[in-house]
Amino acid sequence: MTQENRSGRPQGRPPEGDSRLTRTESQLRGPFLLFFISSVIWLLAASVLGVIAALQQGSLAGGPFRDCEILTYGHVAAAQHNLFVYGWGFNAFFALNLWLLSQLGRFELRNGWLATLGGVFWNLALTYGVVLIFAGNQTGFALLEFPREVGPVLAVAFLLAGFWPIVAFARRPTGHTFASQWFVVAASFAFPLTYLLAQLLILWQPASGVVQAIAHSWFVSNLLHLWFGASALAAVYYFLPKVLGRTISGYYLAPVAFWSFVLFAGWTGPSALIGAPVPLWLQSVGVVACAMLIIPVIITAINFHGTLSSEGGWSRAWNDTTLRFVSFGAVAFTLFGVLNTVFGFRGYNSVVRFTSFAAGQEQLLTYAFASMVLFGATYFVLPRLTGSRWPSAKLVHVHFWATALGAIATIIALLVGGWENGKQLADASVSFQQVAKAGSTWNAVLSVSAVLLLVGHVAFALNAFGMILKSSAPASAGRHD
Amino acid sequence: MKNLNSLLAGIFLAVAFPFGVLVISSQVQLGSLGPAPAEEGGPLFPSREPGLAIQGRAVYVSLGCVSCHTQQVRPAGQGSDIARGYGVRPSVARDYVQQKPVLLGERRIGPDLANYGARAKGLDGVHAAIKHDGQFTFLYAGEKGHEVPTERAIALAAYLQSLRQDYSSPEAKLKQ
Repeated sequence: MTQENRSGRPQGRPPEGDSRLTRTESQLRGPFLLFFISSVIWLLAASVLGVIAALQQGSLAGGPFRDCEILTYGHVAAAQHNLFVYGWGFNAFFALNLWLLSQLGRFELRNGWLATLGGVFWNLALTYGVVLIFAGNQTGFALLEFPREVGPVLAVAFLLAGFWPIVAFARRPTGHTFASQWFVVAASFAFPLTYLLAQLLILWQPASGVVQAIAHSWFVSNLLHLWFGASALAAVYYFLPKVLGRTISGYYLAPVAFWSFVLFAGWTGPSALIGAPVPLWLQSVGVVACAMLIIPVIITAINFHGTLSSEGGWSRAWNDTTLRFVSFGAVAFTLFGVLNTVFGFRGYNSVVRFTSFAAGQEQLLTYAFASMVLFGATYFVLPRLTGSRWPSAKLVHVHFWATALGAIATIIALLVGGWENGKQLADASVSFQQVAKAGSTWNAVLSVSAVLLLVGHVAFALNAFGMILKSSAPASAGRHD
Repeated sequence: MKNLNSLLAGIFLAVAFPFGVLVISSQVQLGSLGPAPAEEGGPLFPSREPGLAIQGRAVYVSLGCVSCHTQQVRPAGQGSDIARGYGVRPSVARDYVQQKPVLLGERRIGPDLANYGARAKGLDGVHAAIKHDGQFTFLYAGEKGHEVPTERAIALAAYLQSLRQDYSSPEAKLKQ
């Protein structure tokens, strides 16, 4: 390691790695590829379902799959949501978090078969759950739709597949730690706790009445912030300084960002229940937490955009595939945080409540931020682990433009469409049918952008799978470039 | 930050403390709610659900109806729920004490159903609404124009008719 580490002070810059495939890397190659390949397969499945869901929703009176029980919107939307979150989001972050922490802590994954086993369990349980959703067996709670017997399997699989970053943190040889490590440890530890408690109180021993809805809102906000948010923030903290070769500006603020993010995120859940038949104090706690969450958003904005703004960072980021995706994500996170705070307040919230706006905010976090960062990370990590180059530069361009434009169009349609929709709904003299008709343009935009996203993901999958197949050389002999 | 134990302890608190305050204390506050009369000696509300309605809720859940329909009426001043005729009074926690699971919903692609039973126009009207202009005719047997509801459609209709929040409750009295 470099001198920075011996000095023992955090420098805002991850340690430099060797360009040769290290032993650390060759050990985690197997589990990494398992997680990565399954994540991309699920992403493709979710994108196909996304197109179907957009078409179904856009034409209530006669979609292309009219009167088909399996493909009713209620089935397709639930399956799409779960596959995107648990299939793509979790598998991909299992892979990335494992890689990040073993890089930062020189961790040797000795019992990799455990992680592989966890990955196999995770994906089998997921398949089973999604098949049951289509068969009409779901619970009615968003992101906990899988029948309750799937929950414990997913939890055990998570411990096998997703707990390694904590082991890596415990065994790291240096005393020095880096921001990415904190965020990954938080994600890997907070999720299983949250998931088990939510499973217990919602599906196994249901709390009485609306307390189920309260527990559910707490679960969803933890899942989105502490798994997607924290994992993706870890990646940005790693890749920005790593690829730019400079330290994070204002890095001394990063611990504040970390703790304020972790401490406030768990309280934001009830902001999704404003106006619901739950105690008022609870709703107020949610509003305040959303407002407080602006603190980590501002600090990460200083850290990320400050780093990118100095010495032509933006143009360098634009010309580097990894950073192009990662900085797109960093901007999306800032935007997400600002919207989250503003639309946490009651006045604005009551306008957009029950419209597509909340879905837009979620897309901003899980797609425009987390997924784009994951794509960027893949362009950095995969060549190192497979020892070969990306087969096609053209496909990389198709991937970026299709996903970037698709994401922007989707999010604008959901947010602006939701706002317009909410404004009309607030006026009781406008009938529900009229409101639905007025939203049909936005639904068309959503359908087109769902296709765009699918195109981008196919390009990404072709490129990535081509590269994995091409790398027939033994892992230990692989080289970067 | 260098110590794993204190890092994990902090994260544990960040998960457990909100859970305790938000979820456990609302269970303490609301857990003992049950059907109650609005005035001394009055009838108990919410009333017990008919068995067919309970079966109908299972159909509602299995088709994922909750992805398009909410079941909650906001108080006046937040949106236009009451003006729109979704309910005669805001929903309160007591309205949901008998529902398993509670299906508040998050998105209104279709109208709110919290008080649907009170505004539905007869059983034929409910079945017409379930069909959604031909989207859900798989719930019906027989030829077009002479459709016969299947068991699932009958249960679903009974469930929808059972959704009522038009009674006085201690927390939300109806204006006379």
